[in-house]
Amino acid sequence: MDSGAGESSAADDYESLMSTTDAELLKSAWRNEKAAPEILNYAADLVQRSRQQIQLMEEMVEDYINDGVDPLTVSLYQIDLDRTMFLLRSYLRTRLQKIEKYVFHIQKTAEEWNRLSKQEQKFASRFAGDIKHHLDQSVLSRLPDQYQSHLRQSAASEEDDMVPEPQLDSYVVCRSKKYLGAYQLDDGGQELINIEADDLYALPYKSIKPLVESGQVDLV
Amino acid sequence: MYGRKASELVKEFASVEHGQIFTFNNDLFAQVLEECDGHLLHLQPLMRKIQEHEDKLKDKNRSQEEIGTSEDEMSKSQAEKTLIQNALKSDQFGALVHHLSLVRNKRCLMAYVYKRAEVIRSLGWMVDSVLPEEIQEKLSTSEKEYFKNHAATLQSYMAELDLHLTVDMIPPKDPYIKVRVLDDIGEIALSDQVANLARHAIMFLRRTDAEQYITQGQMEELTG
Repeated sequence: MDSGAGESSAADDYESLMSTTDAELLKSAWRNEKAAPEILNYAADLVQRSRQQIQLMEEMVEDYINDGVDPLTVSLYQIDLDRTMFLLRSYLRTRLQKIEKYVFHIQKTAEEWNRLSKQEQKFASRFAGDIKHHLDQSVLSRLPDQYQSHLRQSAASEEDDMVPEPQLDSYVVCRSKKYLGAYQLDDGGQELINIEADDLYALPYKSIKPLVESGQVDLV
Repeated sequence: MYGRKASELVKEFASVEHGQIFTFNNDLFAQVLEECDGHLLHLQPLMRKIQEHEDKLKDKNRSQEEIGTSEDEMSKSQAEKTLIQNALKSDQFGALVHHLSLVRNKRCLMAYVYKRAEVIRSLGWMVDSVLPEEIQEKLSTSEKEYFKNHAATLQSYMAELDLHLTVDMIPPKDPYIKVRVLDDIGEIALSDQVANLARHAIMFLRRTDAEQYITQGQMEELTG
């Protein structure tokens, strides 16, 4: 947004205020989680706060209904509440689906394992058990001895070569909140790119991963 | 040709539209497993022969070093060595072909089961812990068990969080939607009212209330 210098500061203030509300934070956490190929850090505090706010809003809406407040007002609050609920649920769901997809990979990389919430870790362990049991029962137990691992193709493999891993070099579309200057892409190339505020870039996830993690860049 | 059946299996899975599922192909699946056993039967004697050849080669080398022999004998033993080496090579390649075929078959079988499990899970999001009869028929015993286990795992996660995750699958537009009831559901306490959900009734419900009935096919949303 390139507005005139005078009025932009007020607009910027408003923007920055808006972008730090929990609703916005939840939205961007949700978007990042949806777009990132790997699982991100669990936004524990944010989820906690959002759930408290949801509860407050539920109580408020109920009070309004009982007090006979204008139905239109109530329904607006209700919509807002529903949307927040959707964001929260979808956020948690997206994470679960990622855990399901990469469970064996997440289990063996401590760094990714620690990104899960306690409940998610429990879920992941149980889930891994379920799928392993299923694979064992359907395929592995019926194969020759040296071929029964669910992580390796055969006993001759030196490392786990059958674990689905997130594709970190896949491209993502991202937007920076502010001007970041020349940024070195993490692919050994000499190329520097200028990351401008509010411009859209399609970059390999791997190279902007630190920016996503520090919250400087949002995925879209 | 080795590996053809396994690839058929995978192709069969890939040929259905995304998110749909075929009957578990027990026949073909068992045939591929049999093929794996066949490969092992070939593989084992080959491995043994490779071992024998290697031992023999070692012996030859040792005897060559130990006794300084005449040139005549030297060339004879050299010829024998080449012979053994050739046999060794052909057995090694034979073993490799069987090993790789086995690995490939394994990967195809795993992919088949794994991808099906993915579809089954995605169905789990749409229906609440009970699969309709038509789908049940298409699953293998292990898959049915897996679905139940997975549903239980998910349930326990949601219970711990005290948050229902299987509703709200699409972003909400309006808190209320118009639905037609397709089945006699009876008197139900919804989140904001007690409603008599009789067949053919058209009503205005909270979307979160209606969603579970819609996914189970007991209601339809009326749009427009």
